[in-house]
Amino acid sequence: MDLSLLKALEREKVLEVLHRDKILRSMEEDRIRRLKVELQDLRRRGAKSISRQYGERTCARCQKPLGRFWNTGAVCLGCSHRICGRCRVFLTRRFWRCTVCHAYREVKVKSGEWFLEERGKKFPHETAQHETIGEKLLKSHQRLGNISIVPPTPPPFQDVAKLSFSRSGNFTSSPLTKSMEDLVMSFNSHIRRISKSQSDLRADLLTVNYDRTISMSKSQSDTAISTAFILNKGPSLSNIFKKFKEWEQQTSKSLSSGALTDRDTSLSSGETRGSNSSIETDADSSGNPSVTGEIEIALAYSFNTSCLEILISACKNIMFGGFKQRKCHPYVKVYLLPDKSSGSKLKTTTKKNTTDPVFKETLQYSVERHLLASRTLHVSVWHSETLKRKFFIGEVLIPLEGWRFEDSSTKSPAWYPLQPKSDGGAVDQVVGLLLVKVKFSNPKHTSDSCSVSHEAGQLTVLVTGVQNMTGSKSGAAFVKGSLTLPGGQILSQRSPVVKKKSNLKWALQLVFSKVTLHELKESVLHLDLWDQATFSLSERLLGTARLQGAPSWQALQQMPSVWHSFSLALCTSINTRKP
Amino acid sequence: MYSAGTTMTDGDYDYLIKLLALGDSGVGKTTFLYRYTDNKFNPKFITTVGIDFREKRVVYTANSPNGTTGKTFKVHLQLWDTAGQERFRSLTTAFFRDAMGFLLMFDLTSQQSFLNVRNWMSQLQANAYCENPDIVLVGNKADLADQREVQEKQAKELADKYGIPYFETSAATGAEVDKSVITLLDLVMKRMEQCVDKPTADGHNGEGTSKLDAAPAHEKKCAC
Repeated sequence: MDLSLLKALEREKVLEVLHRDKILRSMEEDRIRRLKVELQDLRRRGAKSISRQYGERTCARCQKPLGRFWNTGAVCLGCSHRICGRCRVFLTRRFWRCTVCHAYREVKVKSGEWFLEERGKKFPHETAQHETIGEKLLKSHQRLGNISIVPPTPPPFQDVAKLSFSRSGNFTSSPLTKSMEDLVMSFNSHIRRISKSQSDLRADLLTVNYDRTISMSKSQSDTAISTAFILNKGPSLSNIFKKFKEWEQQTSKSLSSGALTDRDTSLSSGETRGSNSSIETDADSSGNPSVTGEIEIALAYSFNTSCLEILISACKNIMFGGFKQRKCHPYVKVYLLPDKSSGSKLKTTTKKNTTDPVFKETLQYSVERHLLASRTLHVSVWHSETLKRKFFIGEVLIPLEGWRFEDSSTKSPAWYPLQPKSDGGAVDQVVGLLLVKVKFSNPKHTSDSCSVSHEAGQLTVLVTGVQNMTGSKSGAAFVKGSLTLPGGQILSQRSPVVKKKSNLKWALQLVFSKVTLHELKESVLHLDLWDQATFSLSERLLGTARLQGAPSWQALQQMPSVWHSFSLALCTSINTRKP
Repeated sequence: MYSAGTTMTDGDYDYLIKLLALGDSGVGKTTFLYRYTDNKFNPKFITTVGIDFREKRVVYTANSPNGTTGKTFKVHLQLWDTAGQERFRSLTTAFFRDAMGFLLMFDLTSQQSFLNVRNWMSQLQANAYCENPDIVLVGNKADLADQREVQEKQAKELADKYGIPYFETSAATGAEVDKSVITLLDLVMKRMEQCVDKPTADGHNGEGTSKLDAAPAHEKKCAC
């Protein structure tokens, strides 16, 4: 049973009724909660506590002593406690209950509990007894909602407006207000993105998500409380409290976990988190069907503020994000390569249910003009769904080398066809130079070079610094070295961490022992420069340098025990390598 | 017995009672409910899309079993209106399960709508919250005397057969509209009390009942 059989306008009308019903329902839930709180109070006042010793002869409600001959009390049918004459409520001349049992009865009647019980007898196998059909329909619609059911083109503005204003003044759910909300939200974030730093924006998004999670778990807990209070078995107060506590914990748990997942999937407030999520998105690109569509981008450079401004205008005809459900909530992510850290990542807002999203959002990088020549703009389009993995839709790489920012004609937007995910291996980029000194030393100090080549010695690599490094400058760095010997044997070394100040001389020493010069000739030395972010344990590969080939090693062979200096090109591939 | 309330948006009421009107298309369910809640008549026929509901707050005075008039309660009525059209049937019948009482309506000027009462009864039996829910049979459009096709006797017999009250109403004049709804409300309120008190009235610990029934009587003499 769902609403998919109805025509769009009919469905709209029914949904409007269901939302009206929801308002009434929440009012009713509030009322029931109040009733139950009152009941709890009454119960607490009249409860015999376990710690105190009560004589048999006290009223269970007012705790006044009962007489042996008069005011002896009588056992209440509901709770089996002995009750004095005053704590009774007579329903008929003879039929009575104690005050608490009567209150239970009242709540059961007034809360509609009786109805659920009766229905439970007829439909014992239904799982959600308390859930009304309206609630169910609304939920299932919201689940499927806006994806397969809602027509891709919204009904004309005027129709919707008429519909929602003519009926009872509940506009919360109509597509008109939804799209208005979206509009306002995207407008706000748009403004902020320009004016504020990125972290501020992220924080804003976070609060939005928090709110949503809270309201959701709140409504769930409402129903939880009504199921928790089943009155016919005369539950004890402690039971009620226990259940109350339980669901409180559950809600707080679900709340925090919900918020966490939100943060993980859509936010990058911390550097670690940001890179995590981008690794995740990168990982999910496998096996996707042919990429379609185009993206409209305009680039401009503001010489006043030294900012690269990227206007993500729109996409058209992009493919659906989900494999099974044909849905698409696209957003655009931008990196200024070669920097693939979270600091370089910018994102647009997510558009709902469209393969022709219009973003009109400007993203900015603060970067010196002369550094742009070595950069590449990496623009990718992703499908984002709450609590699900991101799905790659397409990307485009725009090398900024030779881009004439000075020429105003380059500022107009252009359509770029989206490409499938590029294989990073092919697109190596030089990000800087790694300065190293290498020395081969032999403990026996023989001068005969021929015999030296077959004797085991040690190779010392001293990393002294980097030059012309693009990307982040702060933080600390370390080097991982691996020497691959002809037999396939790999010797690995890791240097200590050093503060990564560009001008400072480093002395990161790696020592590979028990190698012969003969072996070295056919060996490959890989030096990976890693970035370690401050206050975090996350590591990021900045680039890899290689020392290989006979000419390099020959110098060592000819002059052992002497430092030989090399400037090795540090390369990074667009594909991130994991630590 | 009742009077209309003023504010509807607060939770200041004692009971939420959900009633539902059902019957063939065009028998006048929507206009009937409109007459009841707003005391107005709309002669235009606007077919109901799927479902709808109206609300009204009334004051209900319970007649306590010993004959004296008892307490008064504020009752918030949620009156579900359903589409009579066949194509909405699966949707409307799904809503039967949430209603506490039913206004089963037919058109006094349409024999067919009366014949279909039988079908609606079986629909109710299948989908309502229990096997014998509270129902009031309502023959509407009583003002159109010259077009009448269903005789009062006929309808009364059917209602008796089911053991439910029967009313001939007119949404146009308002005749018997209030009375039929309040009768249904009364039935539901009584059912509610029964349901809650049933377990002890049946005496699931029957031994204790007789013993304890005597106890309070004895107590009274003791002037506690």
